Amino acid sequence: MRTISLLLVGLAGAAMAEPMNGAPPPSEFVYCTTCHGVQMMGNATLNAPRLSGLDAGYVERQLVAYRAGWRGTVAGDSVGALMRPMAMSLSEAQVAAAAEYVASTRSPLPVPTGNGDAERGRSLYPSCAACHGVAGKGNAAVAGPALVGLNDWYLVRQLTGYRDGWRGTHADDTAGQQMVGAASQLKTDDDIADVVAYIMTFSAISKP
Amino acid sequence: MSPHFSRRELLNFVAAAGGTHAVYQTSRALGLLADSTPPASLNLSPVGSAARTAVVLGAGIAGLTVAYELERAGYGVTIIEASHRVGGRNMTVRSGDVIDELGQRQVCQFDDEPNLYFNAGPARIPGHHQRTLKYCRDLNVPLIVKANFARNAYHQDDASFAGRPVRLGHYVADARGFLSELLHKAVDKNQFDQALSADDRERLLEFVTAFGDLDDSGNYAGSRRAGYARGYQSPEEYRSPLPFDDMLGGDFWKWVYTASENPDWGDPLMEVPGGMDGIVQAFVRELSSPITLNAPVQSIDVTADGVDVVFCQQGVLHQVSADYCFNSIPAHFLPGIPSNLPREYKNALAALKPNKLMKIGLQMKRRFWEEEGIYGGTTLTSQPIGELWYPSHDIHAQKGVVIGAYTHGDGCATWSTMTPSERLRAAAECGERIHSGYAELVESGVSVPWERMNHMMGCSVHWTEALRQQHFDVLRRPVAGRHYLVGDQMSYHPTWQEGAFASAEYALLDLDKRVRSDSAVGRLA
Repeated sequence: MRTISLLLVGLAGAAMAEPMNGAPPPSEFVYCTTCHGVQMMGNATLNAPRLSGLDAGYVERQLVAYRAGWRGTVAGDSVGALMRPMAMSLSEAQVAAAAEYVASTRSPLPVPTGNGDAERGRSLYPSCAACHGVAGKGNAAVAGPALVGLNDWYLVRQLTGYRDGWRGTHADDTAGQQMVGAASQLKTDDDIADVVAYIMTFSAISKP
Repeated sequence: MSPHFSRRELLNFVAAAGGTHAVYQTSRALGLLADSTPPASLNLSPVGSAARTAVVLGAGIAGLTVAYELERAGYGVTIIEASHRVGGRNMTVRSGDVIDELGQRQVCQFDDEPNLYFNAGPARIPGHHQRTLKYCRDLNVPLIVKANFARNAYHQDDASFAGRPVRLGHYVADARGFLSELLHKAVDKNQFDQALSADDRERLLEFVTAFGDLDDSGNYAGSRRAGYARGYQSPEEYRSPLPFDDMLGGDFWKWVYTASENPDWGDPLMEVPGGMDGIVQAFVRELSSPITLNAPVQSIDVTADGVDVVFCQQGVLHQVSADYCFNSIPAHFLPGIPSNLPREYKNALAALKPNKLMKIGLQMKRRFWEEEGIYGGTTLTSQPIGELWYPSHDIHAQKGVVIGAYTHGDGCATWSTMTPSERLRAAAECGERIHSGYAELVESGVSVPWERMNHMMGCSVHWTEALRQQHFDVLRRPVAGRHYLVGDQMSYHPTWQEGAFASAEYALLDLDKRVRSDSAVGRLA
């Protein structure tokens, strides 16, 4: 028999099921974790990708992109459309603070869920490496975000979006336009699945 | 068993041997009680000095029921709720209430009057929802009859009658008339000679004539059942028959015609005067267990002797440990909450998708529907609003709140990406096609798309037959006898309060069986 107890726990105090040692969400950003999960670990059921530990600058640019209508406005991006009002509701100061919060979150790296051919993907990856790094850790010099830590299903959806014209098409979205060009190298769904499968192999050798 | 026992003798015998629950089970097997009848009392074994504890996750109907029953049996209970309010999807919106939609927070601008409210979640209780009604009785929650269908309400379909609304009673009477006439002709022309005796044939013709209100020659020439064409200062005259080809044009026959025959929708239904959240308020009055709001769960660990739950409040983590955990967190959130739930359990959770459902409540300047002879009921339309509900409470008050849209599944897609004010405009435009002048009568409104509501992001689980076969039993079975998944999502009647009550009942009876067997072998101190 256990008596009921209510304890204040420190960051690493709770006997948690998995290592989730980032800071708890500040009240104003609890909303982020509703869909993206505790410590932004991601929730495939809600199409909400893992964002734990993403570069703050990248997160801020994406929130700005949603607010400016570069993301979440084009037909086909129904998931982005659900995210957009959330970004719209933030003040400019909150956008920066939300990005800092997301960057501070920690969760285990995602496990692969797709069945792409990583070996074949390796041969498609070199054109990605200039901006995203040979091991997918990003390239700060050209503001290329890290790919390690993103869910494979999220990468597939975004690459499909670049290819199908619902991401990166806005006239002011120069980084997005670059990606549209890069994604056009991936001709088929298999190409996308394979390169993503290769990207997922980086997780095995990375520690975030 | 002696064959000479009467049924009553048998039941008395069982009662002596096994308690009231056994009587209930036996009665059910004998067919004396309908399958939907719940036990009169859960009769949980009191835990007394061996006090056991439970943490309840989610303060919706299932969570509140579990807390209420366990408290009565002597358990120490604490309730953790992620959102700012108690009740879950049992939510009545009144003046000043916050609608916590993600990124689009609304504040209800209805007049502050007791009759102006909107049940954004459950809004009607059918007579066979015996668990819901039992708790209303036990908790002294008053109920009134709610008119869910009215023959004077409309069907409006863009694909028939040039989109003009037609009174439901008119439609139903004419549809039956025309179908009866067709059958009458077939019988009359001896199409069924092989199958029917002369006697049967006569009886069938009489049946068909009565069913469709046919004339002496077996033709349908209109019926009193279609409604009166005008008032009573002249000889009675009924609405003339609708063109039959137009009746075939729209969706009427697909579901509208039989909507009032759905057992969950068939009159008379009931509602709580003043708002469905009267049930929630009654539970809160009865409970002494603490309810912690604004406290989303951060992790769930089932241990050898209980369950540890970490939640976050105001940016600070807290841990609560208890012998048992009753978890009504929407299943689609659990993949985003770290836990040590078994692999099979997690796989089952990951396979589930949420249902979608949206309602819009509109405060109308005037109860114009009453001027059209409509006192409650539902207009069904092919337009994106789906349904238009007229209140049957507070008749002849100056103003009223209609449910100006009620849509679910794919029908929610167009609404969920609109802003709240866009939704109100769109709903008003749809209403205008049914009631001329409608848009101008809208004073204010709120939209509640459950698939976008914070801490909800859906409306129960979308169970397909395949998902049920594969995962339902896995998820209903308690993990290590300690962690129970509950809520209407874990019932055979999701999206209804009855489902939430049924899931609580199932979990509590399972727990009780374990507790009783523990005491039987002397494992309790």
